[in-house]
Amino acid sequence: MNVRENWRVFLLAAMLITSGVVLFVPGVVGGSDGGNNQISNLQYGIQLDGGTRLRAPVVGMTAENVDFAGQDQGQARQAMADNLSIPTADIYFQVGRDTGVGTVEVFNKSVDQSEVATTLNQVGLRTSDGGQFSESDIREGVTAATRQQIVDTLDQKLAESGLTAGSARVATTPQGRNYIVVEAPNQGAEELERLVAQRGSVELVARYPGDNGTMEETMLVAREGIDSIGSPERGDTSPYQVPVVLNQEGAERFTRVLNENEFTTTGAGSAACGGAEKNDRGYCLLTVVDGEVASSHSLAPSFADIIRANDFSDDPRFVMGAQSRSEAETIAVSLRAGSLRAPLDTDGRQVYTLEPALADRFKTNSLITGIIAVLAVSGVVYLRYGESRVAVPMVLTALAEVVLLLAFVAAVRLPLDLSHIAGLIAVIGTGVDDLIIIADEVLAEGDVSSARVFQSRFRKAFWVIGAAAATTIIAMSPLAVLSLGDLRGFAIVTILGVLIGVLVTRPAYGDILRTLSIDE
Amino acid sequence: MSKFEVPEIDYTRYSNRQLAAVPLAVLAVALVVLAGWYVMFGTPVSLGTDFTGGTELTVQTDTPRGEIDQAFEAEVLSTQRVRDPTSNNPTYVATFGPETNGSALGQQATNNLEPVCSNPEECDIVLSRQTVSPAFAAGAQNTALLGLFVAFAGMSLLAFGLFRTFVPSAAIVISAFSDIVIPLAIMNLVGIELSLGTVAALLMLVGYSVDSDILLNNHILRRSGGFYESTKRAMDTGVTMTVTSMSAMAVMAVTATLFGIDLMASIGLVLVLGLATDLMNTYMLNLSLLRWYRLEEVTSE
Repeated sequence: MNVRENWRVFLLAAMLITSGVVLFVPGVVGGSDGGNNQISNLQYGIQLDGGTRLRAPVVGMTAENVDFAGQDQGQARQAMADNLSIPTADIYFQVGRDTGVGTVEVFNKSVDQSEVATTLNQVGLRTSDGGQFSESDIREGVTAATRQQIVDTLDQKLAESGLTAGSARVATTPQGRNYIVVEAPNQGAEELERLVAQRGSVELVARYPGDNGTMEETMLVAREGIDSIGSPERGDTSPYQVPVVLNQEGAERFTRVLNENEFTTTGAGSAACGGAEKNDRGYCLLTVVDGEVASSHSLAPSFADIIRANDFSDDPRFVMGAQSRSEAETIAVSLRAGSLRAPLDTDGRQVYTLEPALADRFKTNSLITGIIAVLAVSGVVYLRYGESRVAVPMVLTALAEVVLLLAFVAAVRLPLDLSHIAGLIAVIGTGVDDLIIIADEVLAEGDVSSARVFQSRFRKAFWVIGAAAATTIIAMSPLAVLSLGDLRGFAIVTILGVLIGVLVTRPAYGDILRTLSIDE
Repeated sequence: MSKFEVPEIDYTRYSNRQLAAVPLAVLAVALVVLAGWYVMFGTPVSLGTDFTGGTELTVQTDTPRGEIDQAFEAEVLSTQRVRDPTSNNPTYVATFGPETNGSALGQQATNNLEPVCSNPEECDIVLSRQTVSPAFAAGAQNTALLGLFVAFAGMSLLAFGLFRTFVPSAAIVISAFSDIVIPLAIMNLVGIELSLGTVAALLMLVGYSVDSDILLNNHILRRSGGFYESTKRAMDTGVTMTVTSMSAMAVMAVTATLFGIDLMASIGLVLVLGLATDLMNTYMLNLSLLRWYRLEEVTSE
């Protein structure tokens, strides 16, 4: 064998060896943990490994180019919330530091665009060119910064709740709608849905009788006031609890609010507390999650003494209550990861979940299906040519394409799904087609007498192959760019396969065929 | 074992009109089917959950198939038995409409269906669940249409770029169009719904079908030799290609059906249909157009 003449074959061989290493030597692919009984370095997606994928749009609408000049933002926000009768947490301002111009986002399904426009005008906000807001100035959807905050928080939440392999990202449809995609391998849907359904704002609120007989509420502790969060445990005053340690500022606020509102004197040990309801009398500490009361308990008299003596800051430990262990876990995770700036739309969400057992079956069965398809191709090719010197290299070359492609998939850590397997089968199909074109062209009109004849025939065959490859790539490229879920992976694998085929394996097959046909 | 030979057809016996009539008639019937579907159901093809929205639950249960409907508060659109030789447990796919709540349905299945073993921890009832919201489905529909359209337009432009003459390029475009439309009509008739997987198969068809058309055009237009000699050589290669792909896809369709992998089964079936259509279109429609272009009308004997 002449190395210079057959360099394509040697290139293919070298690439195959590299692929073998990438696929089978543990730890070669960065970040893979090798030790979990995997045969190869391939990563499997949810369809082949089990798990849950959830896609949901963010609730909210945005007014762009809002001029905040001369406005007190806190007051404007409160005024808007009162006007629209929604919580202030559902309104978010982003203001450019130099320009004083920014965006107003409203995250609440109960209001519509015209109400938001009216409210903006009422509280005195103007567009950046000084005009009034109209309904058309308010667009559906939230800002990119808000989506990023949600993705980051969800990532944090996934990590905190032990779903470390899970991840969140933003996806955009060609229609311009944005979605948050959350994936958690090996997880059922319930846990992920619970995690995503809640915005996760946790507060401790003091509720007590005000001066004029009505009940009043004052926020005691929010996430900013907490230094560290313990693990959920069985509680004394409520069924479960999350121990927290407050920071200096948090402890001072805690002491001040409780002392000012008679919690540490007449209110200590109030009998009106308990359960998960707002108290209509007495002095209670409410753990509030996303505006709903999770638990209510009183301030123990012994603890009240410590607070009254201003000694709480020395050892600022406290608990948040919950009715169940899972609720306590949600509280702990929310406190650690923070809350989502805007809620996700649960009605508009898409869920895909697959039990690992079924996924395992898919994995083996699709492998068997692929092997049987390859055998069928080999059979037909052998029947057609009747010569193993043409047919065997043909099938082996087509398989080499699959190996190279799988190695690439493993190297870039693309999780393999059913759609990718369909793409692989498409690649075998077009690959063998092209090899048949080469073989027919080269072997036509009697045996190949010289390298030059071979070269000219091979070049002719390659024109057709190149043209066919170009059409396949053009046909698939819109799907590779559009975010159409499963089809994207299919298109990417097919395009890559065609490229590998045209650039590497099919020329190499030409060399093999030449060596075999000229020698005889 | 007998050798697989591409049969030689004596094209001189048929006029161009006769050759083109069959594929054009089939195409017309297919278009009528799609139009009829549009009139009756509002969409030219039956759409799957991917494009209409709704929930699909795969459940493993000892509850008899006829009683599965009663486990759910929502209406069950269809229940299909999944055959999988590697599992003895009866498995079904239940489909629900777009206005249903996926997690509630999953909960109802877990509560009301009979598990296949005594310890519910060991055998989950709900094996998989897919919920697609109507908004998502509508978006996916537009995107899939856009994808198919762009793919087709790109392929057409490339065909014209490659051959730079109207008739041969148009022949490629027409047969590719027919290669997509005829399988779509057959899908309606045999009850395969359009899903993301079948859209993938249709796109694959664009690629496959153009292969053999380009080959035929190339042999007839760019090679020396007479028309029928070139046709013979192009067919030898082209039919082998298509039959090889068809056999692979047929085998894939059969095995995937046995194993209950829906996605691969429908991709395989659609491709078998499309490749068979492609044989007809390439060697009857495309060929007659090329012969007309090359030799003008040939009178039949």
